[in-house]
Amino acid sequence: MTQTAPLPPPARRRAWGPWLAVAAIGAILAWLLFSGLSSALVYYLTPTELAARGEAAVGAPVRLGGLVLPGSVSGSATDLTFVLTDGETEITVHSTVAPTSSFREGAGAVVEGTVRADGVFEADEVLVRHDENYVAPSDYPQP
Amino acid sequence: MLASIGHGAVVIGLAVSLFAAAASILAGRSADAGLAAAGRRAVYATWILSLVACAAMAVSLLNHDFSILYVARNNATTTPPFYSFISLWAALEGSILFWTFLLTGWSSLLLYRYRSVHAELMPWATATLALVAAFFFSVMTWPSDPFVSVTPVTTEGNGPNALLQNHPFMGLHPPLLYLGYTGLALPFALTVAALVTRRLDAGWLRVIRRWTLGPWIFLTAGIVAGAWWSYEVLGWGGYWAWDPVENAALLPWLTATAFIHSAIVAERGRSLRTWTAILVVTTFTLTLLGTFLTRSGVVESVHSFTQSAIGAWFLGGVLASLVFGSALILWRLPDLAGSGPPPALVSRESAFLLNNLLFSGLAFAVLFGTLYPLVVEALGGERLSVGAPWFDRVSAPFFAALLFLLGVGPALPWGSVSWPDLRDRFVVPAVAGAGLMVLGVVAGVRGPAPLVTLGLAGFSGALLIGEVVRAAAGRARSTGERPLRAAWGVATRNRRRYGGYLAHVGVLVAAIAVAVSATGAVEATAVLAPGESTRLAAYTVTHDRLVQEPLAADPRVFETRAELAVSGPQAAHVSPALRDYPNSVTPIATPSVLTSAAEDFYLTLLAYDPESGAITIRLFINPLVAWIWVGGAVVVLGAAFAIWPQRRLAAATVIAVDG
Repeated sequence: MTQTAPLPPPARRRAWGPWLAVAAIGAILAWLLFSGLSSALVYYLTPTELAARGEAAVGAPVRLGGLVLPGSVSGSATDLTFVLTDGETEITVHSTVAPTSSFREGAGAVVEGTVRADGVFEADEVLVRHDENYVAPSDYPQP
Repeated sequence: MLASIGHGAVVIGLAVSLFAAAASILAGRSADAGLAAAGRRAVYATWILSLVACAAMAVSLLNHDFSILYVARNNATTTPPFYSFISLWAALEGSILFWTFLLTGWSSLLLYRYRSVHAELMPWATATLALVAAFFFSVMTWPSDPFVSVTPVTTEGNGPNALLQNHPFMGLHPPLLYLGYTGLALPFALTVAALVTRRLDAGWLRVIRRWTLGPWIFLTAGIVAGAWWSYEVLGWGGYWAWDPVENAALLPWLTATAFIHSAIVAERGRSLRTWTAILVVTTFTLTLLGTFLTRSGVVESVHSFTQSAIGAWFLGGVLASLVFGSALILWRLPDLAGSGPPPALVSRESAFLLNNLLFSGLAFAVLFGTLYPLVVEALGGERLSVGAPWFDRVSAPFFAALLFLLGVGPALPWGSVSWPDLRDRFVVPAVAGAGLMVLGVVAGVRGPAPLVTLGLAGFSGALLIGEVVRAAAGRARSTGERPLRAAWGVATRNRRRYGGYLAHVGVLVAAIAVAVSATGAVEATAVLAPGESTRLAAYTVTHDRLVQEPLAADPRVFETRAELAVSGPQAAHVSPALRDYPNSVTPIATPSVLTSAAEDFYLTLLAYDPESGAITIRLFINPLVAWIWVGGAVVVLGAAFAIWPQRRLAAATVIAVDG
């Protein structure tokens, strides 16, 4: 009867080290991925969508796209106020960073920043896109 | 006429590549040499056919033949010949055509090189490459035909995308990137052949690794050239924005880099075989995914995905490659399974293992950040993006750990090491790292990220230099050669190792430059009337006058430039400009960059008042940026050194692999 019993496998050192490393890096990665994700998300909104969020929009990073309302631009390059519109809602934007060359009255513009408590959009970045297929913000789907 | 020739070449190309695949599969099953040769020659023929189609398109572009829709959309009668020619890859259809030409070119090169060896394996590689080519030919036959005609024929075309005709770099960056992308089909095909025929030995792995390094060199050069283009052309003062398009190029680079390292371990023993095969399949799939992301419009909006059939085709390609590759690996799992004792905790093996974990972890993070907005939009309809700060924060620890490893790994012996030995090896480099940190503080570098980078780079750099010095000194002792001669002798006798070290040094140089330039840049915005000056640090910029005139090279382009005098550490007359292209709503920035070893002085014109001649300019002082390009060039040089044929050994290797 002992003839048929399979031999026990040869003793082998179990390879715990690599798996521990995998688990450690996996855990660190998961923590890195999710810990700051919600605060790093930037929502793309039209003026109407932003207005619809009301008070909830204050303070959260937003990318706002619309047309620069002709005649609404005032102030100097580093203290600029203008109005972005989607034809339905108008949002006043204040920017202390000079807009890039793409900034023109009547043309599309995309600004990144946050809504202040007084409802003015404080832009801290004027977006630079270099996607060759980049579609001007005037083509944004209208609600 | 040319359109018919081009379209005909594409359709015949599809038929011939399908024939090549069928003949090669039959040849693989029957070991029929005649069929194998037929399949191989059919692949050569697809290369000729795609060359014919590319030539038809290029000639149509140069002749401004607006009866072809692609030409009408991407060319104008005033487009200079150089930009007419490179418009071949200015938009989707032409890019796919050019892509197919490069893919079939790489395939032909591989098949020609191994035409009389590896008889058992090559039919399967041929079949795989032919199927990949058939996919691209079918994309050009159905959803994205480059030769669609348009009626009525207009007398003037739209002109190439303004951003793409503003700088000659556009002639350099896409071909390099595409050479990298398309070339990564070769290791995939070779791996498929290895899995089907169960030829999973060390010699074959070495072949796959060589054919990965070639495309990898182009991919690396393409990414660096793309960053350089972004820096020199876009006028935002930066070079990397974690844009989905950039991430699409980075992803296969990360997994290919992981493969290049894991293959070294897999060659030595039986460990990491499965993992290595997974990396090859992943890398190829990521090149398809990259094309899907950048070409389907899905990045702009999930909803634009449905607007063109191309997205569905590429998604199908991604899934097919993933399913087919995984099935093949699962099928051969028993042959791939590793054996042997696990590596010692502190050894070169475990350094390689950690390297692979870090590279794949980083690739996963970048993929997650890139796809997350798409998934959210597809599920809930909200449009959002993951900001660059998130990518910076997530990737920084990975890059730091990799910087540490790229010196430690080569300095650790295979097998195991004793602690006293370890201490002897690492004391001097640790001091060097600390020294470089102190030097950085003295030079004005502030902030934890750049200082940690300096410390790690000093540590790893000293380790690498120590390795070379030790080997060269040993050789000098035994041969009596002078030190430099001995170092060259050591390096050329083991090109792979020392080429790798050189590439590592390039990474260190680039890493320091990235960390310091990202945290130490200074910028200012100024409004200047003619005659006025502004200062930024030690630089003074004086606005001389505003000039508005059409470009000499292309009179349809209207240029507004500010002629400025710069004095300070770098003195020059520069004229940053804004160019109005007839087919662009917004003017295109044309910044001026003054480069020195210490820093770049970067000027970009933001706005102007044509009446008063007043301008708004933004100025940046970007420290060390030039060293990013130097570091990238050194990486490419190191990798090229590593795969340069070792004359005496080359013949022996082929025999050994074949035998």
